[in-house]
Amino acid sequence: MNALRWGVLAAGLISLGALTFIVLKALSRRHPPFFAAPQGRASSGIAYALGRGLLPWEKESARLHLAVYIGGFVYHSGIFAGFGILIVLAVGVPLSPFVWTVLRVASAAGLTAGLGLLGKRIVKSHARRLSVPDDYGANIFVDIFLAGALAASFGPGLVPVLFGYSIFLLLYIPLGKIRHCFFFFLSRISFGRFFGRRGALPPLKPERER
Amino acid sequence: MSGKPVLESLRPEDFKAAVRRLAGLLDASSVVNLESCVRCGLCAESCHYYLDDGDLRSIPAAKLNLVIRVFKRYLSPGGRILRGWTGARDFDAAEVREWIDSLYGRCTLCGRCALNCTMGINIPAIVRKGRGVLASMGLVPDGLSSTVDLARDTGNNMGISKVEWVETVAWLEEELQAETGDPSARLPMDARGADFLYLVNPREPKFYPLTLTAAAKIFHAAGASWTLSSDFFDVTNYAFFSGDDSIAALISRRAKEAAEKLDVKALVLSECGHGFGSNRWEAPEWLAEKTGFEVKSVLQVVTGYIREGRIRLDPARNAKTVTLHDPCRLVRMGGIVEEQRFILRQAVKDFIEMTPNREQNYCCGGGGGQLSMTDYTARRRSAGRTKSEQIRRTQARVVATPCHNCLDQLAELNKHHKLGVVVKSVLELAAEAVVLGPPRTGGG
Repeated sequence: MNALRWGVLAAGLISLGALTFIVLKALSRRHPPFFAAPQGRASSGIAYALGRGLLPWEKESARLHLAVYIGGFVYHSGIFAGFGILIVLAVGVPLSPFVWTVLRVASAAGLTAGLGLLGKRIVKSHARRLSVPDDYGANIFVDIFLAGALAASFGPGLVPVLFGYSIFLLLYIPLGKIRHCFFFFLSRISFGRFFGRRGALPPLKPERER
Repeated sequence: MSGKPVLESLRPEDFKAAVRRLAGLLDASSVVNLESCVRCGLCAESCHYYLDDGDLRSIPAAKLNLVIRVFKRYLSPGGRILRGWTGARDFDAAEVREWIDSLYGRCTLCGRCALNCTMGINIPAIVRKGRGVLASMGLVPDGLSSTVDLARDTGNNMGISKVEWVETVAWLEEELQAETGDPSARLPMDARGADFLYLVNPREPKFYPLTLTAAAKIFHAAGASWTLSSDFFDVTNYAFFSGDDSIAALISRRAKEAAEKLDVKALVLSECGHGFGSNRWEAPEWLAEKTGFEVKSVLQVVTGYIREGRIRLDPARNAKTVTLHDPCRLVRMGGIVEEQRFILRQAVKDFIEMTPNREQNYCCGGGGGQLSMTDYTARRRSAGRTKSEQIRRTQARVVATPCHNCLDQLAELNKHHKLGVVVKSVLELAAEAVVLGPPRTGGG
């Protein structure tokens, strides 16, 4: 058990190190300076991109696919909760029953949403044809992790199984699609800076008829 | 497919060189973008091509994925280790054919997908990088490459000679004087020290000279200090569309040198979406230097004249219902959003917005160099269906747009989709409404 616990810690550190390396490698590419004079503020664009710009009423794609948007939000919240359970079990932090309930509910909801998104990817023709094996793999690996975290939170006997599986998942993350989680914020910041400098986002003038 | 003979003659080392070109084009934010796509496909309905044909290849994520899979194959450790698993692909002739068809033939670089991407991926920027790779291989579709070559070789995209340009301006000056009844009305040429140099779309002197007269009439009414240049007058830069940064920089350099030679305070850009984007936003990056003068859209200038009371507009002169098409490169990707609305509200009696509008507008289908790529004409006209339906829903009789490429495409959509509207530039409507005489003082 202790060996597995240390294994999870080591895998976590390796994963984090590899992800940091990948991100730094990406960021080490050239950052061309902006020579064009700005029309708006990059900071306003970034604030929009990381805040209001994520809301469904700001984004037609989210409005049109509200179930998927909500499913994605619940899924990712559940993943955070699942990792919360893993850390709690690995470190042995005592938690109040309320916090346990929150983590379990979030993980269960995340698992449900994850399976729903997987089903959509399989059933919808365009989503299926757009996907690569990694898209299914990433979803399935994370779903198994959520199921494991949920089960282990109820049955201590399953904790070693969760630890063993988590070592695999943590080592896989830098290799495949799941690493997008490390690029999400960078991508949104880049988006906000681009449109913010140009004064296209957020809208400069409040009066807008839609 | 144009470029086919060249494609078939390419050797393995040419593909390797193209991958090196891709690696060189990718900056930090490009790699962040390429690492971010989760192929959720939520971007699909943001694209007017997909809305029209429902083809998988028209989904923005599918276009983006063309570049991603080659990036993974050669430039990403995960993709090299788990090639099939991650969808990494060899960059070979078959792949290049898909790139040409999708990156040139199914995208106008309008950027609507970027706005609707959950991750915020700047998809048109990546598509343009892909075009840059194809341009380095000599695979730019014929119509687009010949337009770029003409601009490179003659100084403007229609090959108008200096003599023809100067004579046209002189003739238009006479027309302006006749229209205004004022012999002092001018289209100044090479006036050193003027407030601004005005660049026009070569389409204006060549086919639609009255749009140039319209601008001149407004400048005259405002008492503006402005000039044209006999050396360089082209606001367009089709190398932006072909993806060839070196030619784009060459064309941008000419505009900069013309402004510097005439010692003007500002470069003012005629109604042209990509011309605005190229000169205002991209040129300083291509040239890797700041400009020593302001670069503005003519819409900003005219808005200023109205606000300052330098011109007065009579909306009764444009009595028909007018709607506005937002050019993507000017609005969503350029940040010029409210000026055209302000002008139209002053210049026409009944202005109605399309839905959606502003940064969420649909592309008309004329951008991205599509108008010059005849291989894709049928696809372009069909992809304008969403815009046509938007126009029809407004029940407007006049469609205004501050972009000459959009004007051409909307005129074609008008015929193709039987819209029964009149298509005009914003300045044309403003010029029709201008009240000549002593300028009014106070706010406009």
